[in-house]
Amino acid sequence: MAPGPDPNSVGDGAKRDEATIKVPSKDPKKKDDKKEEDLSEEDLQLKQNLELYVERVQDPNPELQKAALESMRQEIRASTSSMTSVPKPLKFLRPHYGTLKEFHKNMAESDLKKLLADILSVLALTMSAEGQRESLGYRLTGSEGDIGSWGHEYVRNLAGEIAEEYTVRQGEEASIEDLMDLVQQIVAFHMKHNAETEAVDLLMDVEDLDLLLEHVDRTNFRRTCNYLTSAAKYLPGPDDMLVLDIAYMIYIKFEEYPNALQIALFLDNMQYVKQVFTSCTDLLRKKQFCYMISRHGITFELDPEMVENDVDREMLQDIVNNTKLSEGYLTLARDIEVMEAKTPEDIYKAHLLDGRASSGPSADSARQNLAATFVNAFVNAGFGQDKLMTVPSDSTSGSAGNWLFKNKEHGKTSAAASLGMILLWDVDAGLTHLDKYFHSNDNPIIAGALLGVGIVNCGIKNDCDPALALLGEYIDKEDSSVRIGAIMGLGIAYAGSQNDQIRSSLSPILNDAKAPLDVIAFAALSLGMIYVGSCNEEVAQSIIFALMDRSEAELGEALTRFLPLGLGLLYLGKQESVEATAEVSKTFNEKIRKYCDMTLLSCAYAGTGNVLKVQDLLAQCGEHLEKGDIHQGPAVLGLAMVAMSEELGLDMAIRSLERVLQYGEQNVRRAVPLALGLLCKSNPKVTVMDTLSRLSHDTDSEVAMSAIVSLGLIGAGTNNARIAGMLRNLSSYYYKDASLLFCVRIAQGLVHMGKGLLTLSPFHSERLLLSPTALAGIVTLLHACLDMKSIILGKYHYVLYFLVLAMQPRMMLTVDENLKPISVPVRVGQAVDVVGQAGRPKTITGFQTHSTPVLLAAGERAELATDKYIPLSPILEGFIILKENPDYREE
Amino acid sequence: MLTVSVKWQKKVFEGIEIDPTLPPYVFKAQLYDLTGVPPERQKIMVKGGLLKDDADWSAIGVKDGQKLMMMGTADEIVKAPEKAIVFAEDLPEEEQATHLGYSAGLVNLGNTCYMNSTVQCLKSVPELKSALSNYALTGRSADVDQTSHMLTVATRELFGDLDRSVNAVSPTQFWMILRKKFPQFSQLQNGMHMQQDAEECWTQLLYTLSQSLKAPTSSEDSDAVKALFGVNLRSRVHCQESGEESSETESVYSLKCHISHEVNHLHEGLKHGLKGELEKTSPALGRTALYLKESLIDSLPRYLTVQFVRFFWKRETNQKAKILRKVDYPLELDIFDLCSEELRKKLEAPRQKLRDEEGKKLGLQPKSTSKDSDVKMTDAEASSKESGESSTVTQPEGGSSEKGTLHMTGIYDLVSVLTHKGRSADSGHYVAWVKQESGKWIQYDDSHPSLQREEDITKLSGGGDWHMAYIIMYKARFVSM
Repeated sequence: MAPGPDPNSVGDGAKRDEATIKVPSKDPKKKDDKKEEDLSEEDLQLKQNLELYVERVQDPNPELQKAALESMRQEIRASTSSMTSVPKPLKFLRPHYGTLKEFHKNMAESDLKKLLADILSVLALTMSAEGQRESLGYRLTGSEGDIGSWGHEYVRNLAGEIAEEYTVRQGEEASIEDLMDLVQQIVAFHMKHNAETEAVDLLMDVEDLDLLLEHVDRTNFRRTCNYLTSAAKYLPGPDDMLVLDIAYMIYIKFEEYPNALQIALFLDNMQYVKQVFTSCTDLLRKKQFCYMISRHGITFELDPEMVENDVDREMLQDIVNNTKLSEGYLTLARDIEVMEAKTPEDIYKAHLLDGRASSGPSADSARQNLAATFVNAFVNAGFGQDKLMTVPSDSTSGSAGNWLFKNKEHGKTSAAASLGMILLWDVDAGLTHLDKYFHSNDNPIIAGALLGVGIVNCGIKNDCDPALALLGEYIDKEDSSVRIGAIMGLGIAYAGSQNDQIRSSLSPILNDAKAPLDVIAFAALSLGMIYVGSCNEEVAQSIIFALMDRSEAELGEALTRFLPLGLGLLYLGKQESVEATAEVSKTFNEKIRKYCDMTLLSCAYAGTGNVLKVQDLLAQCGEHLEKGDIHQGPAVLGLAMVAMSEELGLDMAIRSLERVLQYGEQNVRRAVPLALGLLCKSNPKVTVMDTLSRLSHDTDSEVAMSAIVSLGLIGAGTNNARIAGMLRNLSSYYYKDASLLFCVRIAQGLVHMGKGLLTLSPFHSERLLLSPTALAGIVTLLHACLDMKSIILGKYHYVLYFLVLAMQPRMMLTVDENLKPISVPVRVGQAVDVVGQAGRPKTITGFQTHSTPVLLAAGERAELATDKYIPLSPILEGFIILKENPDYREE
Repeated sequence: MLTVSVKWQKKVFEGIEIDPTLPPYVFKAQLYDLTGVPPERQKIMVKGGLLKDDADWSAIGVKDGQKLMMMGTADEIVKAPEKAIVFAEDLPEEEQATHLGYSAGLVNLGNTCYMNSTVQCLKSVPELKSALSNYALTGRSADVDQTSHMLTVATRELFGDLDRSVNAVSPTQFWMILRKKFPQFSQLQNGMHMQQDAEECWTQLLYTLSQSLKAPTSSEDSDAVKALFGVNLRSRVHCQESGEESSETESVYSLKCHISHEVNHLHEGLKHGLKGELEKTSPALGRTALYLKESLIDSLPRYLTVQFVRFFWKRETNQKAKILRKVDYPLELDIFDLCSEELRKKLEAPRQKLRDEEGKKLGLQPKSTSKDSDVKMTDAEASSKESGESSTVTQPEGGSSEKGTLHMTGIYDLVSVLTHKGRSADSGHYVAWVKQESGKWIQYDDSHPSLQREEDITKLSGGGDWHMAYIIMYKARFVSM
């Protein structure tokens, strides 16, 4: 930019700046006059001084020049800046910026030139036109002195210009070495001055986060990592992994192992998990790590490298294997005093409805009894006792047998399997109860017992592998219901385990020409669960072949959808890894091709918040197709799966779904309630609740059914009174429609799931981690709900038990060093987002003080209300080991 | 020799010795001693499978000190109950109907909602049903014409079908005969059968039934329909000009509720309806004069039917216009003050009894007993007490006679409402709202019966475009004395 003849009009930038410093007049002459008048004595003095310096700088005498520059620098540094006004010296020097620039250009190379460049660099802060990056330019030619000495604002401005310059140079492939030196200085300055976020931003812009490791210290690494992990959610492609890698390294560096482990689990990087174990030497802390791994629900084998002592390792492995989960859950239940078993009638609360339901039918309705079976199973899940199935059978007619036989045909499968749900996680007692059903001569009952064994073992690993030992034999039985029971049981018990032995026995079924479609569908699904997120080639191949072998008619069946779903689960959350398989899926029969496409896409990007994929899926939902096309259902669900991971995306997805609901075709509308249910699992947001309540009266009964089930899902395990009331009214509204009433009952069971102690949310550890098996379970149920009539209302109602994969106690249980529960006061309140906040902000708001064990609702966080103990993990969820605080003094 | 520990249920059995040379069956027998579980029901889990009876220990690779897990119980094996459980879904249709607690709807055959709703309302009268079922036994009497007979039989059949079916019944047969008997219902408009006035259908049907259900003896008392629905009115016709007065009696099947500007409530409308002006030749004056006719109820029916006179012929437009005015009606109607003096006297004692009973129900002691020692007892109370006592005394003695006889109280409970929605009698839609024996209200909208709340029934009183009551039927409340 060439300087104009009038120093007052330097360029566009200057003009704009004039406006910002509130100079009303456009006439320069007049302006000056006015200024002179307004200035105070002091300011006038300063202004004259500065004008003198400017003149002297242009003096040929270097001594004089130097003195002038030094004084000028003094003046600038001495002035304080604020956000709203330009410091006085800068303001007075503005008219001379052009002059000085011109002079600098013609100056011979010397120290003085550098000194002048420094000053120009600062002046450019307010004078430089947008995009010119003059401040940076002068800085690079300047004397490279302490960057902080010019103030924070200057550094920030410089950082911005560096980012711009970096992109330009990247484009030109020019060297960036000089920039990086500056970046070093700026990062150091920011990290020292509580501006970690800006340092991280700059480093992300120049793509050199490794630098961060040198600059973090004990005081700022937490805030830095916090910012890094939350920023990762909004970063594209490989960048997010890189950012998390850095965060992991920082945590390891400062021995903040629980957080490091969290990130390792998020990255699904077993090498990192192992490193956490090997880096840490404290056995107690390792126990805490094991609790964290067990909550995440992955299979993890400890090796001698991680834990040397055999006895210790066994104990730790027990924790990873979740063997104590049942005990902890029952401790919670006893503490909250909800051990008393509940009957379905306690949940329906028919007496609160006016008169209508009072005169119940005298004969048993098989459909309603089946609903009661599920309600009983969900409500009493994990408590080990109920009033229908586990009551002692020695009474005259054997009432346990009685209830079982009050279910019809395939209903008996679900009834027998409900025992598994009631005795959830308690393998020993569960197997004892289920044993007698193995000897039944009724196939549906055997199938139920097999499924029950799978459910009892859900998330629990045992050395003896009882589930595999018991179920393995039944996989190839004659009766297909028994086979399905065994296959589904294995899928639930070994979800995420990648067990080769099971694969070798299930894979042949897929490609067995004689196997019935339903057996194949469940085999594909179970394999998908067992190998969830593994990208296992062989399993993928088997499922692909099975899909290719299906006849035209079979592809139209409702259950066929489990084949692509099984395939999709293999790539759950694995993003690009799915592409090869997605290519193959393009060769499928067109009946299933698009369904497969959508399922693969949505599974692969589940929980990533990838905006581009959300747009892809939205475009699919917007199309108006003729009837019979079913791929839009998974597209809508996919929308929710991709967007569910973080709050902003979630809210946006809810709003987009509202649009889809208005403009979409009927088959799209049917999936929308399910997608809403997925987005707000066990998190009854009022707006979503209202939408679903409205849809539950929709004229299209399938929309109404999905809305009702979704009401159950969003309220799952919350005992939410409002949803309970809505469902009660729906039960009287739909009392005549057996199918809708069945859905209402299921939803009622879900809302009171585990008497309010459980959650279905696949997210844990402050919403950072997504348990893959939990998500797999929920997604499977939702896909089944896309064709409610043929699956859940047909004879495959037991797919409802896939929810068990997502069921987890929503508790915070504190244990002492010997892993015995202890009660300590904690504050529980709404979590506050503290990312990027200075100081030590409060992390919860509106809290109440309770003693542990406590329940945590969605969006709640706990903190210890005593200094007597130190928690071994900063994330107070699930099992927390407390160590006595050595510095604690009783008051 | 290997030593293993076996976990069974929550117990662990330590230090069980295995002799690898003997088959696992021996090991199972060992466990049988410890647990009481017979070997054939023991499931012992070794890595990756179950322990087979004839397996080779070395092939299984059990290590010293290994933990095994055993599953199995000595519990009885579940057996299906001997008597198979019957599910509602398996029942034949007829039996499913009884579980619903109300009967089926009627299919609309093309503007036949007026007929459907009439049939549904009348069907709610059990006495009529039983009279109809007896009809077959008595057979057709000579003075009943062929079509009336057919219509009566068709009504009986239709009522029967409705009681048996779960799904909506198609009243084709009934409709054909109705049109045969009353050709005015066959009116066509644009090739379709026209909407008809439900009141006309109601009156005609009831009249036919009353004719055919008359016992062959044809004495007045045996007229079943009349006994159920007939209201005897005693009217005093009075000419103001000449001062002449005469009295006449008549019997009607329904009371009219005239709707004018002053009428806001059923009661006012009924009063209005019982007063009339007529012009007739006065013998005294020798010309036509204006007579005032005031009627009072002389005898009460079991079922009191009230018709809201909502339709009138509008000359200007040449069609039946509708009065939309809101006229409230109660769930419990007291028509005491519409009755004649004699009837009122008859009603007094039962009404007192009813009040006492209700008072008791509410937990209040009847005054007469609580103030037993009180000297200043009013006559009325004394009498009521006496009557109360006498009835209780006579009961054990009466023996053969039922617990006292039933007496009318002049108090009626609402049992069915026939509503009309729309602006004219020949258009719009008729719907029946019927109270079931269970106390639940059912709306019969042609083939769709649906449950309704009692408080919604009183909201059918008009004043808008919602369904409004056209014909309502009350059932008398009796008290046994």
